[in-house]
Amino acid sequence: MKDAARLVGITIISFCAVFVCGLFTNYYMDISGIEAVLLPGKVAAFYNAQVSTAKVVCLVSGGCLLVTAVIMLAFYIRSYIETHKRELGVLKALGYSNMGIAGRFWIFGTSVFIGTGAGLAAAFILMPEFYSIQNSDGILPEIAIGFHPSILILFVIVPTAVFAAMAVICAFLRLKRPVMSLLRGSDRYVVKKGRGIEAVDTPFIRQLGRDTLRGRKSLVFFVAFAAFSFSSTTQMSTSMNELSSPMMGAMILLIGVTLACTALYIAVWTAIDGSKRTIAVMWAMGYSRREWGRGILGGYRPVAYIGFVLGTIYQYGLLRTMVDIVFRDVEGIPAYNFDMQALVVSLVCFAAVYEIFIYLCSRRIIGDPLREIMGE
Amino acid sequence: MIELENIRKSYGSGENRSQALRGVSCEICGGEFTVVLGASGSGKSTLLNIASGLERPDSGCVRYDGLDIACLSDTDMTAFRRKNVGFVFQQYYLLPNMTVDRNVRMGAELAGKSDYRLIIDAVGLGGKLNKYPGQLSGGEQQRVSIARALAKMPSVLFLDEPTGALDEETGRQVLDYVSGIQREWKFTMVMVTHNVNIAEMADTIVLMNSGEIIERRKNERRKSAFEIGW
Ligand SMILES: Nc1ncnc2c1ncn2[C@@H]1O[C@H](COP(=O)(O)OP(=O)(O)O)[C@@H](O)[C@H]1O
Ligand SMILES: [Mg+2]
Repeated sequence: MKDAARLVGITIISFCAVFVCGLFTNYYMDISGIEAVLLPGKVAAFYNAQVSTAKVVCLVSGGCLLVTAVIMLAFYIRSYIETHKRELGVLKALGYSNMGIAGRFWIFGTSVFIGTGAGLAAAFILMPEFYSIQNSDGILPEIAIGFHPSILILFVIVPTAVFAAMAVICAFLRLKRPVMSLLRGSDRYVVKKGRGIEAVDTPFIRQLGRDTLRGRKSLVFFVAFAAFSFSSTTQMSTSMNELSSPMMGAMILLIGVTLACTALYIAVWTAIDGSKRTIAVMWAMGYSRREWGRGILGGYRPVAYIGFVLGTIYQYGLLRTMVDIVFRDVEGIPAYNFDMQALVVSLVCFAAVYEIFIYLCSRRIIGDPLREIMGE
Repeated sequence: MIELENIRKSYGSGENRSQALRGVSCEICGGEFTVVLGASGSGKSTLLNIASGLERPDSGCVRYDGLDIACLSDTDMTAFRRKNVGFVFQQYYLLPNMTVDRNVRMGAELAGKSDYRLIIDAVGLGGKLNKYPGQLSGGEQQRVSIARALAKMPSVLFLDEPTGALDEETGRQVLDYVSGIQREWKFTMVMVTHNVNIAEMADTIVLMNSGEIIERRKNERRKSAFEIGW
């Protein structure tokens, strides 16, 4: 299963999730140890804020990343089965049971294992640095780094097992259909009943864009998510520089941009890979790269900007909540206001990254259109 | 007129290297129907791809009325195809999620034409505008693909085994349509086939064998699809 290499997306996401959550949970568990010590009022407030931050960060980032990873996995399995329909159909025709075939999909779980394992390792490597920064003012007593086996189980072993099981179940559900529908070519067509006659004068390219968008709804999620994480994290990281520490800012920035690029890459890759034949035919007919690019990917641009707006709102809401509620009792936290400049910078960067990224990706992915038409 | 001059093309490298075309020269006359005939693997498709600007030769020239397209850049090559070349593939390659009308429109928009419905009528599918490819028979799908190629008003239409996936009767019908339209509109048409009978429908026959042209002859009279009786 060399296609498993395509699962890097899940690996990266689980890496990020475990890295952040591991760091904060470990920190949280370690500072829990000092609760018994009687703390003076101010220190107690700081302490509580630290605990809340750890909780909020874990829940928010961990939750978001978990959902993303789950969706991504389901998506991968679906597209894997779609592209390998024939082989799987032959296996079924030979008499393998659904469960027998689906059972092999546990291997998809290894991507999660690698990601989470590496994430936890990275968290431990960075931990001394992180601890000293968190307590740079020396408000809390010195905290020793402890290793908690429960973190290993919770963040590495459980997710791996759950994902492996999910992969098998997902595959099983998808395989539950007649052999012939697997064996038959991929030229399935959907007769769109009830939508009535479409506006006759839509130009072909625009129609193609709409069809692609409609036919690949899951990609809408990825594109929106990419924009969302880009916009929220870049803007949040500038605010974090002031509110918390530059390291927090850098960490958030790094994770956000990595996530955004991964999601965008997956979306673009899937959109183009699934439309290779259409692109090849358009190429043969003399449509330029710009035109087919517009047809296949153009529909996603508005989605990207909607995702961007949502990300902006989200990060504002989140920081507002943190500052107003979580840090309410802590002194020395600067006032938080919406950062217009950061928004503009982030938007410009996003537009540039998005366009360049799509341009470069589409170039690489398409490969040799003639081969596509001639069928090897 | 299209002139091919000493075209060479090989695939692979090292031990796997194989010569698909070994110095092919040939003329294709404007306004004629030319058939390239040869056994499977003799290099017909390669020749067609090079003549139509889908692929570049390793050496040699492909001249359209004197313009050598073998040395155009990729962008110019695409622009050239857009303006001059129509292509019909054995596997049709229609867009499955679009109606017949849309599929043909895909070609028509390249030429900025709005009366492409005439062409759908010409291939006898005027009544099936709103059908999807999956609802059509193989022969009908191939006719849509021909209409799509013609809708951009190419000066040359290339067809690579257009009846290869069709049964005899349907294949004959498709050929009858396309041959009739060619006779009426007088564009240049080059068709690849391994079916000897089909060759009798053409003005000129080019015979290929293992990467070389072994014979080029003219038919005195074009036969209709129903006369050839394969
Ligand atoms: N893309 C390719 N890669 C490697 N070999 C090829 C490729 N295309 C064609 N060939 C080889 O070139 C020769 C001629 O092929 P082709 O032009 O397709 O023949 P025909 O269309 O007459 O059947 C064959 O031996 C084939 O194996
Ligand atoms: Mg061939």
